[in-house]
Amino acid sequence: MIRAEHLVKRFGDLVALDGVSLEVRPGEILGFLGPNGAGKSTTIRILSGWLPPTRGSASVNGHDLVTDSLAARRSVGYLPEQFAAPHELRVGEYLAYRAELKGARPRMARERARAVAEELGLSERWRQPFGTLSKGFRQRVGLADALLADPPALLLDEPFSGLDPVQRQEFRETLRGLAARGKAILFSSHVLPEVRDLATRLLVLHRGRCAAVGTLDELQRKLQRSAPLRVLARGEHATERVTALATAHGFDPERIEAATGAVLLRALATADRAALFRALAAEECAVEEFHTEAPDLEQLFLLLVREPAA
Amino acid sequence: MRAFIAQFKRELRGLLLSPYAFVLLGFWFLLNGFFFAYLLRSPAVQNDLTLLPPYLFGNGLLVWLLLPAFPPLLALKLLAEEQRVGTLEPLLTAPVRDAAVLLAKYLAACVFFLVFWGGVAALFLVLNLHGAQLDWGRVGCGFLGAMLCSSLFLAAGLWASSWSGNLVLAAGGGAALNYMMLFVPSLLLDAPGRVGTFARAAYLPGFLDQAFAAGWIDSYAIALPLVLSALFLFLTWLRLAARRMLA
Repeated sequence: MIRAEHLVKRFGDLVALDGVSLEVRPGEILGFLGPNGAGKSTTIRILSGWLPPTRGSASVNGHDLVTDSLAARRSVGYLPEQFAAPHELRVGEYLAYRAELKGARPRMARERARAVAEELGLSERWRQPFGTLSKGFRQRVGLADALLADPPALLLDEPFSGLDPVQRQEFRETLRGLAARGKAILFSSHVLPEVRDLATRLLVLHRGRCAAVGTLDELQRKLQRSAPLRVLARGEHATERVTALATAHGFDPERIEAATGAVLLRALATADRAALFRALAAEECAVEEFHTEAPDLEQLFLLLVREPAA
Repeated sequence: MRAFIAQFKRELRGLLLSPYAFVLLGFWFLLNGFFFAYLLRSPAVQNDLTLLPPYLFGNGLLVWLLLPAFPPLLALKLLAEEQRVGTLEPLLTAPVRDAAVLLAKYLAACVFFLVFWGGVAALFLVLNLHGAQLDWGRVGCGFLGAMLCSSLFLAAGLWASSWSGNLVLAAGGGAALNYMMLFVPSLLLDAPGRVGTFARAAYLPGFLDQAFAAGWIDSYAIALPLVLSALFLFLTWLRLAARRMLA
């Protein structure tokens, strides 16, 4: 299990993380979202043991990352955003060396390296130098490295970057399989469809703070009220009338759908839906649609990161 | 311990298979061969071959010119290269202590540097095969002093290597530091009071010339480079810890 409580990280005057708490349970895949500079990589680097937090605590499998760092690092497999290995080393040599570094006896290290390489489809690349591998295979070597000690927790920083669609699909399947074996997985990504398809829970970071956490359904329900109100009315100058009434009732007309003429309204602080609906009825607008749609992940992400963090 | 051995093997193997390290080795052999031949042409050495070790390992060109420069050129492979390529983060997030990683890297570089000295030793063997009568005690003491000195310069090079992923800065910084360790005390040898005393106590070429190359072993002369090496290793460890804080 991965746990962080009230993590704060400062780099001089810059506050990179401001009280982030999270928990990833065994078998869970937590998708870590946020715009550039939100603090995703910093959080992952703290959880990997690379950076110490300024305040707060973090633990992996019950081992504190500051006071019991070696045991905590033994419990976590980490794939950095820019994974690199010595270019001259062959895949097999590198994995065997890393397994030994993580505590395996030399013979066991080689066997373990072989097993993980086979599991991740690296057997054919066993004798190939790391420097000659494609980006996709390098990522696989990185994941293999993270899995060598069979850790209960995995931290993956942008694991899909640079992968082609086939490799992404394979990578997703691999991660699902690992979660099914009880591993707690935390991964960050900018690719929203990847997060939607893979994560069992989401955590959105914004300006170093946790803007939202929960399953996609939970977040959609929570943010439905913030999603644009969709109003479709029929009749002469319907669009103009809807826009004028909405503005008068505290809504900001966001855009008009060209195909249907529906008006998408963003609610301002003074917005009153019921009053708007009554006004539309009083004006005898033939209202066909008056609802907010559950935001998809992209809308949800934009809603969360546009607003200041709560 | 297992992690330390794994890292040591990896570093040593990396150096032994590195074309760069062998280019360095080639230059080292070439320049030492030149110095060796130059010394052998000297009438004093031709008359008395026992003078060869003090001339080579003592207060000469090897110590003042080559020795400070080559270890940092090798040490840049240890940390600066890791930072440049991006392999330091996976290494230091593995379940292994920073101190074990540093020590493994340092010892591997020291062992590899034995190959450098092996080339110089081969020149003495060739001389011996041609019937030259050598004082092997002096030769051995000379080698011991030079190896201790190169270990110190490797430790200083490792420290310089921890500061940046820029290889030129790492090598240049390490070499500058090593030259300062030689030149600063030499300029202050005659200074009055504590400054002069301290300079004489830290003057490495003096120990190499008057102790090791002269054929006797002084415990202070052995302790000085060892203590300074330990100091540089500690500074490197601190630098890595600080880097984690600031990364």
